[in-house]
Amino acid sequence: MYGSVSTHDIPAQASTGLENEDPQLLAEFEARIARGEKIEPDDYMPALYRKQLIRMIEQHAHSEIIGSLPEGTWITRAPGFRRKMAQMAKVQDEVGHAQLLYSAAETLGKSREEMLTDLITGKSKYSNVFNYPTPTWADSNVISWLIDAGAIVNQMANARGSYGPYCRALERICAEESFHLKYGHDAVVHMATGTPVQRRMMQEALNRWWPPIMTFFGPADKASQHTEILMRWKVKMASNDDCRQQFLDMYVPKILEIGLTIPDPNLRKNEETGKWEYTEPDWEELRRVINGDGPCNQERLAVRRAAEENGAWVRRALQAKRQAPKAVRPLA
Amino acid sequence: MLSSLDPRIARLALPDAPAALQPKAAFDQFETYEVFHQKKDGAPFSYVGPVHAPSADVAFLFAKEQYSRRAACSGMWVVPTSAISLTRYVGDQESVYDVVPTPAPEAPGVPAESEDYLIFHLKKRGKAHTHVGAVQATSAADALEQAKRAFGEQRPVVNVWVMRRADVLTSELEDRDIWSTTPEKKYRDAIAYKVQDRIDRFKQEHS
Repeated sequence: MYGSVSTHDIPAQASTGLENEDPQLLAEFEARIARGEKIEPDDYMPALYRKQLIRMIEQHAHSEIIGSLPEGTWITRAPGFRRKMAQMAKVQDEVGHAQLLYSAAETLGKSREEMLTDLITGKSKYSNVFNYPTPTWADSNVISWLIDAGAIVNQMANARGSYGPYCRALERICAEESFHLKYGHDAVVHMATGTPVQRRMMQEALNRWWPPIMTFFGPADKASQHTEILMRWKVKMASNDDCRQQFLDMYVPKILEIGLTIPDPNLRKNEETGKWEYTEPDWEELRRVINGDGPCNQERLAVRRAAEENGAWVRRALQAKRQAPKAVRPLA
Repeated sequence: MLSSLDPRIARLALPDAPAALQPKAAFDQFETYEVFHQKKDGAPFSYVGPVHAPSADVAFLFAKEQYSRRAACSGMWVVPTSAISLTRYVGDQESVYDVVPTPAPEAPGVPAESEDYLIFHLKKRGKAHTHVGAVQATSAADALEQAKRAFGEQRPVVNVWVMRRADVLTSELEDRDIWSTTPEKKYRDAIAYKVQDRIDRFKQEHS
């Protein structure tokens, strides 16, 4: 589960560093991508490509692992055995996705260990929506359905990208996400078409989650040299706005058909332009929460950190029997 | 102290501010193993991805969990990353065997013992390496040369992986029960959720 990596955190005037690349190698690299061939770990790649992909795949991995927390919290309190089992399977999948993605990022030269350290020290980020709480079972259902739906829009786009290991990981991930989406939809429909109390609970959860959902894909991309290059290199496959429009196209009708309302009086599709219009999300809040000041930032990182510390003795015990360090960078 | 909506997390009494982290030992994460699976009986083994593990046995357990939990398979192989030799990658329309240098003839001396090497081809960038067969060879370089003779006609071949059979931990046919999934796990399949029926009923009642 994952929101878009925005190119916003790159200063507009930052150098692309392309002047330091070998022009012939760079031309071959670009020609390969233009032909529709994938890039594999041992190939030449520009430093900017490597750096941006590491950042993107790493944030995606962190989002999976942190994203499993707001839903995982409901496993013990899920209503009924079947839903408990399904919720558990979904959370397990998300953690598995993180493993696949960390491995894909590792092929680019950053170790899994470094990435996990950067996560718990707050140096690298994860999808901001997971800094919001799931006070009720219905909130967990909204994540299962709509956050996963948003993630699928993103992941389907990224799966057409140019980096081989990331594509391989996304292929597996997308296959598993189809269960998540259906499971989440089923859970939301169950509540929305249930008793008045269930219905109200679901509506309130949707009201809480709508603003974070609208920020999920990130602010509109700035037109910059970076954005243009990353699109050409098939690192960034669709603009944040296009992803948001696609999400609204697919899911607004599905939300309305089960009698729920969307808490945005300005939301409507402009029939002339074919585009959705909506109240501009609060980007200032997004920035504030990303930088640590959200309702759950502390808790998410504290839980991750506790897991890391509580598992240390197991790693130490296993390590004691081992020889000198060996290869830790996967091949593909 | 950290307050949480989740009673299990509240019980942990986690500290509020991040405590300083203990610096971790290098390679705390263990070495990597590459994993191959067989989708169904008779199909060739193909690459699914890596795992980190302290030993081959543990790698196999992790691999089973990671790569067969959701996608059914009938067999699995696990091999340390460090035990794989690989060629360079060429373009999607080419064969890497065309550019593999022929090794110099070995200096006369005691001939090395030959053993089984497994050969994997990547047919297209972004796809998975697939097992094409085994050769008898005295070294990885020799195995590649043998592979060129045995499989060099196949095209395209973007990249070749070579490994000693002795380095590969394989699942046994007699243990095949470990790959079967109990039928009551249907709740993990998208198809088990008949959402539309309920939506239609709701719409009918409210029309």
